[in-house]
Amino acid sequence: MYAIEENIILLLPVVLPTAVGTAILMVPGFDRNRGRIIAAVLGTLLVEAALAGLALATGGSLVLWQLTETVALSFHVDGISRLFAALTVGVWLLVGIYSVSYMKQEEEERRFFGFYLIVLGVLVGLDFSGNLITLYVFYELMTLTSLPLVLHERTKEAVAAGLKYLFYSVAGAFLALFGIFLLMQICGNQPFVPGGLIVRLPGEGLVSFQEGMGSGGTPVKEGLFLAAVFCMLVGFGAKAGMFPLHGWLPTAHPVAPAPASAVLSGVITKSGVLAVIRVVYFAVGPKVLRGTWVQQVWILLTLLTVFMGSMLAYKEPVLKKRLAYSTVSQVSYVLFGLSMLQSQAFVGALSHVVFHSLIKNALFLCAGAVIVMTGKTRVRDMRGLGEKMPLLLGCYTVAALALVGIPPASGFVSKWYLAVGALASGTGVWAWLGPVVLLVSALLTAGYLLPLTIQGFFPGTYGKEDVDAGQGKAGPEARQEPSGWMMGPILILTAGALLFGCFPGALLAALETLAGAVL
Amino acid sequence: MSLVQNFPFFSIILAMFSGILSSVLDGKKARNVSLAAIVMTTVMSAAVLHFCVRTGQSYTYMMGHFPAPWGNEIRAGVLEGQTAVLFGVVMFLAVVGGMDHTAMDVEESKQNLFYIMIDLMLSSLLALIYTNDLFTAYVFVEINTIAGCGLIMIRQIGRSLSSAIRYMIMSQLGSGLFLIGLSLLYDVTGHLLMSPAKEAVAAIEAAGLYEVPMLVIMAVVSVGLAIKSGLYPFHYWIPDTYGYATPTASAVLSGLVSKGYIFLLIKIFYRVLGRENVIASQIVNVLFVFGLAGMLMGSVHAILERDTRRMIAYSSVAQIGYIYMGIGLGTQAGMVAALFHMFTHSATKALLFISAVGLYEVSGDRKDFRSLQGSGYRNPLAGIGFAVGSLSMVGFPMLSGFISKLLFATSALQSPHKMLPTVIALAISTILNAVYFLRLVITLYTIPEAENAAGKGNDKRQRVFVAAKGQGEASAFPASSRKLRLAIVSFILLNLVLGLCSQPIVNQIGNGLTMFE
Amino acid sequence: MNTPLFVNMEETVSIILFGIGFTMLMLHRNLIKKILGMNIMDTAVYLFLAVKGYIRGRMVPIVADGIQDVSAYINPVPSGLVLTGIVVSVSTTALMLALTIRLYERYGSLDLDEILMRAKEEERA
Repeated sequence: MYAIEENIILLLPVVLPTAVGTAILMVPGFDRNRGRIIAAVLGTLLVEAALAGLALATGGSLVLWQLTETVALSFHVDGISRLFAALTVGVWLLVGIYSVSYMKQEEEERRFFGFYLIVLGVLVGLDFSGNLITLYVFYELMTLTSLPLVLHERTKEAVAAGLKYLFYSVAGAFLALFGIFLLMQICGNQPFVPGGLIVRLPGEGLVSFQEGMGSGGTPVKEGLFLAAVFCMLVGFGAKAGMFPLHGWLPTAHPVAPAPASAVLSGVITKSGVLAVIRVVYFAVGPKVLRGTWVQQVWILLTLLTVFMGSMLAYKEPVLKKRLAYSTVSQVSYVLFGLSMLQSQAFVGALSHVVFHSLIKNALFLCAGAVIVMTGKTRVRDMRGLGEKMPLLLGCYTVAALALVGIPPASGFVSKWYLAVGALASGTGVWAWLGPVVLLVSALLTAGYLLPLTIQGFFPGTYGKEDVDAGQGKAGPEARQEPSGWMMGPILILTAGALLFGCFPGALLAALETLAGAVL
Repeated sequence: MSLVQNFPFFSIILAMFSGILSSVLDGKKARNVSLAAIVMTTVMSAAVLHFCVRTGQSYTYMMGHFPAPWGNEIRAGVLEGQTAVLFGVVMFLAVVGGMDHTAMDVEESKQNLFYIMIDLMLSSLLALIYTNDLFTAYVFVEINTIAGCGLIMIRQIGRSLSSAIRYMIMSQLGSGLFLIGLSLLYDVTGHLLMSPAKEAVAAIEAAGLYEVPMLVIMAVVSVGLAIKSGLYPFHYWIPDTYGYATPTASAVLSGLVSKGYIFLLIKIFYRVLGRENVIASQIVNVLFVFGLAGMLMGSVHAILERDTRRMIAYSSVAQIGYIYMGIGLGTQAGMVAALFHMFTHSATKALLFISAVGLYEVSGDRKDFRSLQGSGYRNPLAGIGFAVGSLSMVGFPMLSGFISKLLFATSALQSPHKMLPTVIALAISTILNAVYFLRLVITLYTIPEAENAAGKGNDKRQRVFVAAKGQGEASAFPASSRKLRLAIVSFILLNLVLGLCSQPIVNQIGNGLTMFE
Repeated sequence: MNTPLFVNMEETVSIILFGIGFTMLMLHRNLIKKILGMNIMDTAVYLFLAVKGYIRGRMVPIVADGIQDVSAYINPVPSGLVLTGIVVSVSTTALMLALTIRLYERYGSLDLDEILMRAKEEERA
């Protein structure tokens, strides 16, 4: 196994939130005691940030449990783990603070916060996973534990959406599982290795190969192997909202409470991305896939998703749903970058993971704040919002511009890298078609995000009457920003989205090192 | 000979004798006698298992004073010990968990009869596991059938009577075929004891004689036992039988009885007909195809079903398909997977039936699965138990079902010709399983629409109260008893043990199969 | 007339009988006839076994007249099996007859299809 000794610290950031979350759900002391729940949640999130920092700094690996002789559950921290875990914990902390204020209007905060913490623990476990089976275990746990967040409202739509979410995720996970089984046939349950394990032996099929260990395992026919990899891509792609298993996302995200949809959209979809990265770059290896039909079809699927997501978002009247469609499209930007199997595109994809996560969380939190303050969900009804809440709408606008990719905001940087990577990838027609689709989709992004800004700040006379009619004779519009608990996280996320765009150097340098290792 | 070696014989006799004793006792005493018998036989089986693992070999035990080719023998090895222990544990928990319902479903004056049937069932299962003699196996197959029929019909409602007669008819078809197969085998080999019969079979095969009769024997024995264990397309008695019996009976019938026959079939394959011969005869391929069909069709039927218990019963059809598919792969790994899945399914299906009881109790005992809405809150432990069982059946990691899937997939990948159909069928059937099991689990945790509206604005506790008032009043059942809870918790633990510490068990299954040969 | 089917006439007959019984048990709708079929099937097996144990010109294996020589008697094992088998078949027949009586009392019919239909109706009501 690993050369590095066991590092027990890795367990802490996984166990702590899970334990506290379970305690919140189970211990009677938390019943009807909002203050105590809030204190526990915020305390845990802060300690969690410190623990995760410690775990990420110390790194190393840890064997959790020997499931069978050949299958071990183990953690291993590497660059990708650090990126995703830091992002997860950070976003969770901010959204947690926001929830304190948001969830006041919802029922059953206890259950929400309990599962909110448990999901965090599971996600950190997912980020730390050291091999495919561990990844799969935490992936399934994530589906199950995040389900109560979707089901939170328990209305008929919420239950239907929850079922849809569950079926898509489970079906995807099992598709992936059979790919994993096949891969295990070749190389056992090997720990992740940057650059992958599989090599092609001409005439014999595919076997595993590792520096210093030589090749081994039973050769597997190429056709079967590629089919298995494709199954894994589609299966894990379900969580990332990739066509054809994208259908759950626009249904499930909007029915959840705003903080939950923020993390579902911003972080949990990224776990699908993480799984795809692990499969392609750390288990199978980009070399084997380059130029095969799998890569071609994968690119096609991602581009299709990018375009389709944007189109559907463009036509969607409900703000949260529009944002969910936008997630479908944006996460596929990331997958597109990954599918290029090219280092600059890889950097672009990973940076887009970070940026999209920040931006989408900010946007969903804004949408949530609007719902809390006004109860409005449709974009059409939000005319004149800027007069009431200029700061909120300002944040929304900055985040939206960042997502569209207007320099110097962050989206520009990642999209630039994606496009450059695609052009240099040597994938034939995709090399230029990809950037074209991305460009079109960026225009559509502007088309579906900015109307709110325009109508919000410049309602015009037509809208004014509507608003007046709606408000009755309440006198002149007073400024009515959401509370500090809500505005704080939104501001931080927006600032992050902006600042990462202005000073992307350090992040990009780190990502380039990562890309160098795997490609 | 050490004392432990007598235990298989003792346990069979003990179980049978406690049945006889119970006929003069009243219901409660009979129940305690049966529980004691189950515990003692399980302990004895554990001792046998320990003995065999320690000495590393199996042994045969001569009954009466006639030596090998004529007399009657018992054989105990690691696999027998394991199966007997697991069956004992599952049976104990099923009886304990369903105790209160048994008291309610069965007439007061017939309580002791129920426990006599349980004792007989235990005795015949142990005999099926331990016997080394084919005709003894036949006799105990029949005792098993009669006891099973008694367990079904003792709940005297119309559907249980009519399903009992169907069960009898199918069972008789199966055992008739099994019997004629044995007679033919006796004709060809001149032996009924497994070990000499195997030598004779090997000699016949080596000489190339009796090809057609041997093929007929294999086919008839396999089909006979397949009918009795409910392999698709001989499954149609299963849903009625499991769906209308009292919970203990459902759990025992689905969890153990069909497995006893499968175990016997595997034993005959290994210890009489010879695995190579069976594979060469293509019989395994037939079982494989039926297994695949069962995996898919069982799940499809379950999806179309609305009655919870029948849904679980149809899922049994699918799971038995899995087991036959494993056998049908024809490899050692496939056989190990099949046996492990047998254990998994015993533990999980019993868990499902028993926790379904807990859910029915709080939902007015209606059949439609939608009546269970919100019951996961009204009886949290039963809800968790049902969820764990469902997830295990779907193949959620860390539960036993996942290990089964892993073993099946690994063994499928090792047999190149059957790899694709197996893997595809596994994938489709897993997704189908997910469809109906997860639908059930979600139903458990959904508050019915009307009550949701009624409880809006209150906190959860009040809402649950409303829901409980809405449906709980209709229920004649008391709140779930401590025994039921104990059974559910133990079953969950059993499932986790099978899921997390599977390696020693799998190793011992492999070990036991090697001992068979 | 020396084909194997005629040389082994008893076996042939017993297999044919088995087939008849099996078919009756499986396909007949009347419960009593099903039970008859089951008995025919079992009896066919006993005939088969008895024939297997019989050796022409020898006696039943009961020691009489002080003859201890093995070669004087037929093979006793099949006879023992047949006896055991008869016991088994008597008990299953009894159980099935009892069940049939209960069903007849309840539904007034011996037709299995009709019984099943009525049981379903009864449940619905």
